[in-house]
Amino acid sequence: MNSRPFIINHRSCHSGGILFKPNASAREQKDSFRMTVLFISAKLHKTTRSFFLTYWLFHLAFTNTCLAQNMAGRIYAAVLFNNSKSNVTGADRYIGVFARAKGDTAWKNFPNTNLFAFGLGFAQHGATQRYYIAGGNGLHRSADGGKTWKILTGWETMEVLSVAFDPVEAKIIYIATPYGIFKSIDDGKNWAEKMRGCKSWYTDEVIIDALDRHTLYAAVDDDLYRSRDGGENWVALQAGAPGIRTVVQLATHSNVILVGTEDYGVRVTFDEGKNWSGGKGIPATAIYAIHASSNGKAIYAGGYKTGVWRSNDLGQSWLQIWTAPEIEAIYSLFVDPANADHLLVGTNGKGIYESTDGGMTWKQAGLEGAHVKQISILP
Amino acid sequence: MPAKFFNHKEHKAHKEKTLCSLWPLWCSFDCSPSRVTHYWETYPRKKPAGNPAFQFTVLAILLVAGASQSQFSFDARKDRLLNAAGQEVRKDFFAIIAKLQTQTNVPQALAMLDSLARDEGIGGMFYAYGLIGTYLRARSLLPDSLHVKIRRAFRTRVMYRGDTENHWVMYYTGLYLAAQTWPNEDGAQWFNGKSSQENFAEAKSWLDHWIKLTTTKGQGEFDSPTYFITFVTPMLTLYEFARDPVMRKEAEMMLDYLFADFAVEHLRGNYGGGHSRDYPQDIINPLVAASTMWAWLYFGEPEFEPWSGARGPMRHRGWEAVNGAVSSYRLPEIIRQIATDRSAPYVHTETKRVRNVIRFGEQKNPPVYKYTYMTNDYVLGSLHGGVLQPIQQHTWDVTFVSDQPNNTLFTLHPYYSGKELAMFFPEEQKVLSDEVNRFHLVYTNPDKWNASSPYEQTFQHKNVLMVLYNINENAQHAHLDGFFPKSLDERFEDASKWIFCKAGKTYIAFYPLQPYEWIEEEVNWRWRSRDLKNGVVVEIGAETTHGSFAEFKNRLRQTKVAHDNFDETLTVQYTTSAGELMQFTYDGQRLLNGKPVDFKSYKLFNGPFLQSEVGSGVLKIIYKNQTRILDFNKISIKGEK
Repeated sequence: MNSRPFIINHRSCHSGGILFKPNASAREQKDSFRMTVLFISAKLHKTTRSFFLTYWLFHLAFTNTCLAQNMAGRIYAAVLFNNSKSNVTGADRYIGVFARAKGDTAWKNFPNTNLFAFGLGFAQHGATQRYYIAGGNGLHRSADGGKTWKILTGWETMEVLSVAFDPVEAKIIYIATPYGIFKSIDDGKNWAEKMRGCKSWYTDEVIIDALDRHTLYAAVDDDLYRSRDGGENWVALQAGAPGIRTVVQLATHSNVILVGTEDYGVRVTFDEGKNWSGGKGIPATAIYAIHASSNGKAIYAGGYKTGVWRSNDLGQSWLQIWTAPEIEAIYSLFVDPANADHLLVGTNGKGIYESTDGGMTWKQAGLEGAHVKQISILP
Repeated sequence: MPAKFFNHKEHKAHKEKTLCSLWPLWCSFDCSPSRVTHYWETYPRKKPAGNPAFQFTVLAILLVAGASQSQFSFDARKDRLLNAAGQEVRKDFFAIIAKLQTQTNVPQALAMLDSLARDEGIGGMFYAYGLIGTYLRARSLLPDSLHVKIRRAFRTRVMYRGDTENHWVMYYTGLYLAAQTWPNEDGAQWFNGKSSQENFAEAKSWLDHWIKLTTTKGQGEFDSPTYFITFVTPMLTLYEFARDPVMRKEAEMMLDYLFADFAVEHLRGNYGGGHSRDYPQDIINPLVAASTMWAWLYFGEPEFEPWSGARGPMRHRGWEAVNGAVSSYRLPEIIRQIATDRSAPYVHTETKRVRNVIRFGEQKNPPVYKYTYMTNDYVLGSLHGGVLQPIQQHTWDVTFVSDQPNNTLFTLHPYYSGKELAMFFPEEQKVLSDEVNRFHLVYTNPDKWNASSPYEQTFQHKNVLMVLYNINENAQHAHLDGFFPKSLDERFEDASKWIFCKAGKTYIAFYPLQPYEWIEEEVNWRWRSRDLKNGVVVEIGAETTHGSFAEFKNRLRQTKVAHDNFDETLTVQYTTSAGELMQFTYDGQRLLNGKPVDFKSYKLFNGPFLQSEVGSGVLKIIYKNQTRILDFNKISIKGEK
C-alpha cells in the first residue's frame, strides 16, 4: 500500500475539514492542522467507519509535515475560454491554468498550459507532488511543479472534464469525459471505460467517497450514479432530476450529498442517496458549482443566472447572497479553507470575483473575459 | 475587381500552353506589366467597352476562351494554381510551398515560414499538419535556423487536438509525420510530454480508426464543400511523406475514396446535395466554396479559375489545393470521368453517420440517409432530416448549372438551441448558443442560411422532393425560410399555387403548403412562411426532359398536391408529373407508389458509379466497363487507374 496522499481532485471540492488562522505562520498552521485532525478524528472515532478516516487523518498529520505550509499556497484557476479571444485552436495565452499567490492580485499563466482547461487536480503521495489538468487534449500531469507536462490519455477518451484519485493506490486514477468514465490502474498508462450500469455516457464529474475509497459517485447526464466496487458497476441513485452537472459529498457529514442539475437547481440527500429533496429557495435552473466551507456550516452554490446562494442547513434551504447583472453564469466556487469569509467565484466570460467578507461585498479579481471552470488552492 | 495573379512573363507562358489562337487579341487591351487580367476571370459580368460589333467579337472570344479552359490538362492547371498561389502575400503554409516550388519570391516564403515557426500566438491542428507538411516538402531548402525553430515548435507549442472529425484528421496527420520525422526522442522533446514512439503509435491508431469508421459507417463531417479540404489535404500530406508503405497506401485509398464521394455529387464545380456542414456564403453561392478549387484542379470544372472571383470572392482564401498540385498523387481517371460525365441522369444514395453524440441520444453515431438525383442541368439532393450535425447543416437544395452566381434554391428552419449544441459539445447547455455565436457569428440569427432542425424531414424520389416541418411552438425562430436567388431568369406565382422558376435550362416548381411572404434582400428573395405545421413540394425539370418552360408549367398545373387537413394528419400526397405517387407523413411513412421506403436498406454507397455495403470496408468504383475496387480490409486497390 502506498503512503496516504493529500488530494484535491474535483471541481466543487470540499476542503476536508482543515482549519487555519488567516495569516498564520507556517508553524501555527502546522499546529492548527494537527489539532484539527485530532479533533475530527476523536469525534468520528465512534462511527463504524472511523478507523479508516482516523488512519487517514493521522497519516496526513504526521507524514505530510509540509502540508500545512503548502495549504497556504497559490490559488489556481482553470480557464476554458476567454471572451477577448476567439481562437479555437488552443494556442491562446488567455486560456489554460492561471495562478496567483494568496493576497496577490496578478494572475500568471501556469507554464505550458495554454489549453482548454476544464478542471484541476493535485495529488501528493509521500514527497511526490503531482499536478493534473483535465483538458481538451486529455489529462495532463506534471511531476515537477508545472515545469513539464505529459498527456496521460489517448484519443479514446477525448476531452477530460474532471479527475479523481484513489486516496491509497497512487496508480489508480478516474476521469470523467463526454464519452464516459475511464479508470487507469497503472498511473495513467492505460485506460479502461467503466460504465457498466449507466444509461448514458456523458459524465461531468466523478468523485471518491470520503470514507470508502472503493465507493465513487458520478455526475452522469441522466442521473447521479454510485459504484461500490471502484467503478466496475454503477447504480443510478434516482436523484430526481436528469442532467447532473456537479456532485459534492460533505466531508463533515458524509451522508450528505448534493448535486447541481441542469434544470432543477440543487438536489440533496441526507442518507447517502436513498431519499432526495430539492433545495428550497434556490431557483430551478442550472447549478454548475457547489462548494462547502471546511467546517460544513456554509454551502455555496451558483449557476445559470443565479448569482451566489448560501445554505446554512446542509443544503435544505438557500438564500441568495449576491447577484450581479453582468454575470450570466457562475461556473466555479471556492471557499478558502483557511478563511471561510474568503470566497471566489469563476464566471463565464467575466473572470473571477472575490469576497473577503463572507459574500457581503464582491470585487472583480482578475482574468477578465475568462470562463473559469475551477478554482482551487494548491501548493 | 479581378485580382492580379499573373505577371507578364507568366501570362505569356500561360498563353503559349493554351490551344486558343485568339488569346493575343483579347489580351492586347488589358495586358500590361502593371495589371494583367484574364477576361474569363471576370466573365460573364465584365462588359467590354466599344461598339456593338467589337463587343460581339470580344464576347465570342470570351466564349471560346472559356471553353478552352476546360481543355487544360491537370499539369497545366496545377501550374496555374502554383503561379497564382505563389503571388499570395498573406502568411499561408500552402502559399509558401507554391513559392518554393515555383522559385518565386523565395526569400518572402522563407520569411513567412520563419514567422509562422516563431509566432507563439498560433497553434493547434491546422498549424500542426501545415507546419510539418511544409517542413517535409521544403526541408532541403531551409536554413539551419528554421530547422531548429520548426522542431522547437513541436516541443513548446500547444497543438490542440480539437473536437471535430476534421480537427482530428489534421492533428493526427501532423503528429504522425512529426513523430516519424523526429523518432527516438523522449517526452521532454514533445509538446505533450509523450515520446516519439508514443506519439507515433497514438496517431497511427487514430488514423486507422478513422479510416475504418469512414469506410464502414461513413464520414461524420461528410460532403462538406468547406471541410472537404481538411480531409484531402492531410491525406495528400500523409500520402506524400508517410514512410510506412501501408500507411501511404491507406492515404492513397482514402484520397480515392474522398474524391469518389465528391465526384458522384459533383456538377460543373458544384458540390451538390445535402451537406453535413457548410458556411452560409458557400451555401447560397456554391461555386465560391473551397471544394470548387479542388474540382477545378482534379476534375477540370468549373471552367473559370476559382480564385478569379468570377462568382464572387471565395469565403475561404486558403491555398490548400497547392498540396494537390505538388503531390505525386494522381486522381484515377475513372473518378474524373465519373465527376464530369453527366450524359445520363442517375439516383445515388449514401449512408453517412451523425457526428459523435455525447448526450441526449441513444447511439453515438446514428446513420444519416442521403439521396441525390443528378442530371446534366441540375442536382437535387437531401438528407433525411433532423439534427444530424450542429450549427452548419444543409439539409437539401437544388443546385443548377448557371453562368450566374447564387445558383441554388432551398428551404430551412433556422433553428438553434443550447440542447442541440450540447448533444455534441461538452460545455454548459444554457450558454452554448452564445459561445458558438462567438465563432460562427450567425448561429442565433433568424435569417441564417444554415441550420439543422429537429422539426424538418424530407422524402425524395428522383427529381421530386417533399419537405415537411412540424415546429414546436417554443422553438427558437418558428418560421421557415427559402432562398430564391435574384439570378433566376424567372420567378412567379401561378394561380395553381405553384411558384415556377427558371434558371437556364433548369425549371423549378415549388409548392408551399401554407401561406408565405416575400422579403427582398441583396442577392435573393427570401420566401418566409410562419405556420408551424408546414412544408413544400418541389419538382425539378429541364429542357431535355420537359421541353419548354411553358410545357413544364402546363404539366405541373395538371398535378395535384393533396394536403387536406394537413394540420392534423401532417400528410401530403403528390403524383409527380411522371405519374409516380408519393405520400409522406411527418414522423410517419414515406410511401412511393404505395410501398414504404426503407432507409435501413440503404447501402454505404449505391448508384451507377459507386457501390459499397455498410460495414464492408470495400468500395467499388464503376464507370462504363471499368472498375476500381478499394478494399480497406486488405489495403489493396484492384482495377482501373
